[in-house]
Amino acid sequence: MRGLGYYCRLMGVFVKYSLMSALEYRANFIAGMTVEMGWMIIKLLYVAIIYKAGTSIGILTPDHILLFVGTYIFMTGIFMLYFGNFNALPGMIQQGELDLYIVKPVSLQFLVTMRRLEFAYMLPNLVAGTVMIVTGWRLAGLPADPFFVAGFLFFLVCGCLLSYSLFLLPYLLAFWIVSLGGIVDIANAMWDFNNMPSMIYGKWGRRIGTYVLPIFVITNFPGLFLMGELGLGACLWGAGAPVLFFIISRRLWKMALKKYSSASS
Amino acid sequence: MIAVEHLRKEFSYYKKATGIKGSLQNVFHRETLTKEAVRDISFSVEKGEMIGFLGPNGAGKTTTLKMLSGILYPTGGKVEIDGFIPWERKNEFKRRISIVMGQKNQLWWDLPASDSFYLNKCIFGVDDGTYRDVVTELAELLDVRELLNVQVRRLSLGERMKMELLAALIHQPDILFLDEPTIGLDILSQKKIREFLRIYNQQRKTTVIITSHYMADIEALCRRAVIINQGQLVYDGQLGDINRVLGERKLLSVKTSGEVNEKQWENFGRVREISAAGAVLEVPQEKVKAVLGAILSGLPVEDFTVTEIPIEESIARFYQKEVATI
Repeated sequence: MRGLGYYCRLMGVFVKYSLMSALEYRANFIAGMTVEMGWMIIKLLYVAIIYKAGTSIGILTPDHILLFVGTYIFMTGIFMLYFGNFNALPGMIQQGELDLYIVKPVSLQFLVTMRRLEFAYMLPNLVAGTVMIVTGWRLAGLPADPFFVAGFLFFLVCGCLLSYSLFLLPYLLAFWIVSLGGIVDIANAMWDFNNMPSMIYGKWGRRIGTYVLPIFVITNFPGLFLMGELGLGACLWGAGAPVLFFIISRRLWKMALKKYSSASS
Repeated sequence: MIAVEHLRKEFSYYKKATGIKGSLQNVFHRETLTKEAVRDISFSVEKGEMIGFLGPNGAGKTTTLKMLSGILYPTGGKVEIDGFIPWERKNEFKRRISIVMGQKNQLWWDLPASDSFYLNKCIFGVDDGTYRDVVTELAELLDVRELLNVQVRRLSLGERMKMELLAALIHQPDILFLDEPTIGLDILSQKKIREFLRIYNQQRKTTVIITSHYMADIEALCRRAVIINQGQLVYDGQLGDINRVLGERKLLSVKTSGEVNEKQWENFGRVREISAAGAVLEVPQEKVKAVLGAILSGLPVEDFTVTEIPIEESIARFYQKEVATI
């Protein structure tokens, strides 16, 4: 088993090489950033409308909503950083491109899902998300002492791990059914359920989205923690779900790999 | 050492009739069929040996190499390589092997090949000094020193294949699987890569299994050939012995001063080529002397040569299943 240092070093190389590759095509890099900013502006319009109307959702004031949407945009940036690798997986399986990765003495899952990183998609979301989080946090008058900051960051990290594990699962089906455009579209649509706080959904919708397919845990838990709205059980689930789904994704990955049949030469 | 025993690999697939009707039927019912890509293959390879793994398209060569390198799980049989079972995919095993496929690449397209070498160095945990020495030595041998800092996408196919080879050898594997490493390359590049492989094998005693459709590759590099056809092993032995297994025959090329008709030539052996200036006959080895004597005394012979049947041709006969499995 390789240590954390080994994988951090490799991650450093992937970051460097992805950036170098992206900068080889400057126009494409700028176009990618522009498109992503367009998407982000559409998401911001929701918040702008809420502010203009002065609408509250349950206990959430527009300032709270700004914080939640900011968290969603921030997490979208992190997800977009490696999402291209997920998207490429069905094609790699179909074309037998995993062959030369399987023979490397490194976690294949790490290599395949982290090797190409898209900074053009990440940067606008990360910057805008951070600004919105900080602004929403301050305007809503939420506590900013070290305990709450650490808790918020902890649930952000948990959300990162959970989004990686949860959204990798549908792509692993490609090992069995090869082409999965429809399934992936549904999964991607589910990501967008988070573009508003989970409180806008009904009780059962919230429960399913929190405990069955925990997409709401990803972007809602950091904000709910700040507001003191996460009970002990929810806190434990927020920390446990990422670990549970990571284990599931690892198991399924290993099972899926046994189904890999490569492609004819 | 590589030991392969009764190795088998089956793939399942489904049949589809042509046209839209077939596609619609497929939605509701799929008839699953099984293809036996590799059927009960056994052979062994000694350390430092370099063997040619031959067969026509679809014979199961690449599938076998993929099982030997741990890429694919077999349906049955055993493989042991230096004490490891390839498809267990242990890191220690992966450090001992490398595979190069002529039709697949591992280099980062937009970056210089040296960056991909460095990534492999990090993945395999090669120390800085060894890495520098290996790259310098191999780049020199492959004549690519000047190209190390050129983006991969700007390299020619031949240059790229040399870089692929170099990338695959950064960790100095004990065993090297080469699947058509010279495919699509010009004669000079093929020659350079052959030369490199020959020297590399000699210097490092690396075990090499190579598949290639270019017989020049195999003849230049391998003394032993393993031939498979339709997933089954049909020959395992010295390359030079293939003619003997097929029933040793020679080619007799005779140049005459006058025209000799076909009927006359047929009295001496199987006529392979005929022209106004002579003919090429295929004759069993034990009859060469007698046939030659008869030709010299009966025909206006100007010149003659006796040669072996080209190895390519003999191997093609295995491909066409003209011979029984040995």
